[in-house]
Amino acid sequence: MISANGLLKRYGALVAVDGISFSVETGEIFGMLGPNGAGKTTTMEMLEGLREPDEGSATVLGSDVVREARAIKTRIGVQLQATALPPLTRVREAIDLFGALFPTARSTDDMLREFDLESKATTYATELSGGQMQRLSIALALVNDPDVVFLDEPTTGLDPQARLNIWDVIEDVRRRGKTVVLTTHNMEEAERLCSRIAVIDHGRIVALGTPASLIAAHAPGTTIEFDAPHGVDEEALAKIEGVDKVTVDARVAVSTRAPERVLRELLDPDAHWLRRGDDGQAAGIRDLRVRQGTLEDVFIALTGRSLRT
Amino acid sequence: MRAFRALTLNTVRAGFRNRIALFFTLGLAVLFMVIFGELFGGSNFSVTYGVVDHDGSTQSQQFVAALRGIKGVTVNTGTRAAEIDDLRNNHVDVVVEIPHGFGAALTAPGAPAVSVVPIQASQTSSSASIADQILGHVLSGFAARGAAPPVTLATPVSSSVNNVTAIDYFLPAMLAYIILQSGINYVAIGLADLRARRVLRRFRATPLRPAQILGAQIAGGALTVILQLIVLAAIGLTFFQAKIYGSWFVAAVPMLLGVAAFVGIGFLLTSAARTSESARGLSSFVAFPMMFLSGVFFPITTLPGWLQTTVHVLPLTWLTDALHRVMNDGVGLDAIALDCLVLAGWAVVTFAIATWRFRWD
Repeated sequence: MISANGLLKRYGALVAVDGISFSVETGEIFGMLGPNGAGKTTTMEMLEGLREPDEGSATVLGSDVVREARAIKTRIGVQLQATALPPLTRVREAIDLFGALFPTARSTDDMLREFDLESKATTYATELSGGQMQRLSIALALVNDPDVVFLDEPTTGLDPQARLNIWDVIEDVRRRGKTVVLTTHNMEEAERLCSRIAVIDHGRIVALGTPASLIAAHAPGTTIEFDAPHGVDEEALAKIEGVDKVTVDARVAVSTRAPERVLRELLDPDAHWLRRGDDGQAAGIRDLRVRQGTLEDVFIALTGRSLRT
Repeated sequence: MRAFRALTLNTVRAGFRNRIALFFTLGLAVLFMVIFGELFGGSNFSVTYGVVDHDGSTQSQQFVAALRGIKGVTVNTGTRAAEIDDLRNNHVDVVVEIPHGFGAALTAPGAPAVSVVPIQASQTSSSASIADQILGHVLSGFAARGAAPPVTLATPVSSSVNNVTAIDYFLPAMLAYIILQSGINYVAIGLADLRARRVLRRFRATPLRPAQILGAQIAGGALTVILQLIVLAAIGLTFFQAKIYGSWFVAAVPMLLGVAAFVGIGFLLTSAARTSESARGLSSFVAFPMMFLSGVFFPITTLPGWLQTTVHVLPLTWLTDALHRVMNDGVGLDAIALDCLVLAGWAVVTFAIATWRFRWD
């Protein structure tokens, strides 16, 4: 379906995409996960034929993205970040217009029905809610019945309700046999939708795999988080049997592959690794939370930074 | 071609839905016609003559009565000193002296010719010049009845071959105004907005060629202007009873070349500006001086000499001149060949530079 080979893009001195290679199979939802400015959008725009790579090459549906860009554009669907539509255009007119830009297009009525926009057909696109606008913009990406759909941050800026709705829409698209490539900086979205994920940072792929394999490789085991009112002795805590790693931030986080054993230790109010207050009294840990590893942990493990920053 | 047409028509439709742009183009043009029509020639036009009758004949009294009979005209009579005084105090617009021998000149063969002398406070005021036109009109009606020695108006005012009214003069000026404003509003600002909001980039993700995308926006802008010109001309001819002395087919040539030149300037402004804000700013900077200096609102001859030379570089000067001469003076294409050539030159040069300098983001 898609194959990228050492794609590299520079903007002046900045290397936005620094040698990215991957391939996407038919029927996949392939995710590019990374913080803003990681190079996800630039990578996507090179695959869409919107930007020429400075180095490397890529093929989409068997065609070269530079030499056969126009041929590719008839067979792919594109949703750009921060959806852009011509001004003063109603929903039905927008679908009609984009349909007319392709050699063949699906019927506007079908699209309105499928994307639940029938009641908004005569509304100006600018007056739609965030979720409706996103549905319209995905509908426009599908108006030519493409084989591959590129969605750039399809849920950024949406409220949780609208986000869930868009996830359903995207899963529907896959169910109809389309291949989907999407970018996101939302790990929950990546985990829920994507069959495979490329974690991208500073223009490079730092990890690639299924969500489960990434977590198993980079954020194995369980994380136990809690507050300690007087602080903890980090070294002593790390020596407890079964503890793999301790991080002390606003909260204390303990990674382990033996959560039952470690929890028993942590719950002891007189534990030796707990610092005492001025009155010499011990205070037990508070606000305990136990969770499995997530893609967020994968990202932190790989880059030392949080996705949200 | 189907894609190009769809995109062009979408642009035209959005252009007519854009109320702000529509106000600054067609809306203001109609408003200006209403205002200037009222000021200089509308139904509420009024002029007051102070007549000093040195002759006191039946004919001179008939002349005063004929003048009085014209709608909007008031006539006072009195001594020369009293009427001149009224003129100073703005109670009358024009003092008219009917000389001795006025009646004789009209009735007795062989009597010496006489001149009726209008005295105005200011030579340049528009109401005074219209007062002169009315006077000349009434007088010529009288002279036709009269005997051999003609009765003439001392200072002939209307230099135009045709009896051009204020609205006849403003219609071509407003057509030129629309061409200027549309090129700015629909191309410079419109295109810069599409680029800033990444709409152009979205279109590039379709199989359209880059030239088709830009071409459709520019063609859409030009088509919007042309439709507005037709609407404005229709309004001028029906509601304002403007009269056109030349051929519409001849007038269409400088108009279309003007559209090309100003759409080209709009395109150039988009290329020169990086953001849509700077496109707006640049547009005003270009449009306003041209609007006031190029003969749209007042004749270029009222400008100081050095400025008259300068404004002859501006395309709007040539467009306004060509339209006035075709529509008011009724000249043919050969008389405005230079104007057309200059407009075509502007179109070619602006398109060439704009295409060369255009950036997609």
